[in-house]
Amino acid sequence: MTTVQSPQTAETPAANRQVVSSEILPEELHPSSRIDATDVTCWFGKRKVLERCTLSMEPGEVTALIGPSGCGKSTFLRSLNRMHELVPVAAIAGTIELDGVDIYSEEMSPTEVRSRIGMVFQKPNPFPAMSIADNVLAGLSLSGMSNEDPKALVEQCLRRAGLWAEVSDRLNEGGMSLSGGQQQRLCIARALAVHPDVLLMDEPCSALDPISTRVIEQTIRELCEEITIVIVTHNMQQAQRVSDKCAFFLVESIGDPGRIVEAGPTTQVFENPSDPRTYDYVTGQFG
Amino acid sequence: MALTSPDLQALEEQVPRDIARTVTRGDRIFRTLCASAAAVSLFIIGGTALFLAIKAVPALQKAGLLSFFTTSVWNPTVGDFGVLGLLIGTIIIATVSLIVAVPLAIGLALFINEYSPARIRRVLTSSVDLLAAMPSIIFGMWGFFALQAPLVGVASWLNLHLSAIPFFRLSEPDAPLLRSSFIVGTVVALMIVPIITSVSRDVMAQCPRSQCEAALALGGSRWGMIKEVLLPFGKAGITGAVLLGFGRALGETIAVALIIAFTIEANPYVLEQGGGSIASLIAIKFPEAQDLEISALIAAGLALFSMTLLVNLGARAIVRRTQIAA
Repeated sequence: MTTVQSPQTAETPAANRQVVSSEILPEELHPSSRIDATDVTCWFGKRKVLERCTLSMEPGEVTALIGPSGCGKSTFLRSLNRMHELVPVAAIAGTIELDGVDIYSEEMSPTEVRSRIGMVFQKPNPFPAMSIADNVLAGLSLSGMSNEDPKALVEQCLRRAGLWAEVSDRLNEGGMSLSGGQQQRLCIARALAVHPDVLLMDEPCSALDPISTRVIEQTIRELCEEITIVIVTHNMQQAQRVSDKCAFFLVESIGDPGRIVEAGPTTQVFENPSDPRTYDYVTGQFG
Repeated sequence: MALTSPDLQALEEQVPRDIARTVTRGDRIFRTLCASAAAVSLFIIGGTALFLAIKAVPALQKAGLLSFFTTSVWNPTVGDFGVLGLLIGTIIIATVSLIVAVPLAIGLALFINEYSPARIRRVLTSSVDLLAAMPSIIFGMWGFFALQAPLVGVASWLNLHLSAIPFFRLSEPDAPLLRSSFIVGTVVALMIVPIITSVSRDVMAQCPRSQCEAALALGGSRWGMIKEVLLPFGKAGITGAVLLGFGRALGETIAVALIIAFTIEANPYVLEQGGGSIASLIAIKFPEAQDLEISALIAAGLALFSMTLLVNLGARAIVRRTQIAA
């Protein structure tokens, strides 16, 4: 399979995947989970980096978080699966609900939150000591889950991440032997293996070439039928290509916390923004 | 025309040319100084080995090279020497100390790096360093006077419940448990915990943050992250740290000499009174030794020297191999 795909050929793997999914995991066909962030404020030590951000990420949709560097997009994303608190001085206010349950409450443990809300990072980070197959299965051993048919799971996840055709004959090779774009798709496959309801992506293509970027964007479009996706991106064309909904983050002046200036359907944000600052940003006046 | 490639056949085969390497005077002087420092360390190792070998010859000739390493006797009056029992004793004590020290040190390293709040981390780090700076005679005295009683309790518990394992058996039910290889090994363990802790801590701190975050973001617990990411990442370095500790345990002298009820024969009953090591032999016999016995002690020293050298070389080989594999 070549890495460049025309729109027609892209349809075929998607159709195949749905057949596979309905056989193995019928429940995954119902995109069910939504995230509602209400009045989220984040601090690092005394510095407030994000203030009163309210945003709903709807089931089965791709929500893009856009805005210039340092405006709190990544912080907001990391607060959605409790990665924010891993920084020792980090603090947070407000609520984040996954299907109505506050993820910072006693009702959910951080490990449960993170296995239901997966994450793909900016830089591809497969586990270097593990083979491709073991990388996909890493989440199972990490969280103590088991699977009766790990082989099938590896294939299914790699297919969904659009990597199967390229690696099916070398599953036992090290994950680091892959190219950057393949590594990132391996990380997506790894995140899918624990069956998350939501997938957070922190500039997943910023370290990749345009062809790999295109393959990953295709993967995102296919996945969003089953999984709610939130993606941080610097690339406004990418936001337009992949997202259904868009939230524009901005730091008003230096030292201020980041805020959400505008959020809405992607077409509206890009073509008919209600806030002049959004207009300036999406038309390339700054940032 | 410039783009036309030259006719390669017509040209002579190229060879690497000379590159002029002009060195300034200051550089030359500094390089000489560094080179002499390096030479000193080589000279010390070589000189020590040579000195030990030469001085050991008389005793080895008298006792016989083979029987020196295959018998367990120490009889200066007739010139009969053999250190097999003490070689075994040395390994027994070092092994006991590793078994006690390694889990302690790795647990401590993980606690400091992964679990402790910042303030406690600073206190713990400096107390581990202080532990490393404590003179071994202090450890020895503390072990002798304060640690023996509780450790005898542990020893009899081990014997009572785990005597299915040969190491935890006694030669007779009422055998005395004080001044045993087990007690000495435990005291030595405390002395090698700092080195193992600080080396493995440094190694695991090198693990890329992105790897740890990836593990946690997959829903891994902290223990899962440690097991799947940190320990595999630090494997080579931790192995090196453990072998460094082993090397130190082999050579530890004063604490062993102070506590152990010294015997020339190997004592397979680890929990029981009696045992010995090469280093403690030298410490105990040296003050009164003369002529041939001094030569025999030096020969024993040579054996210890070779053993630690081998362990260290082995450690390096293992570390290098695992590094390549990773």
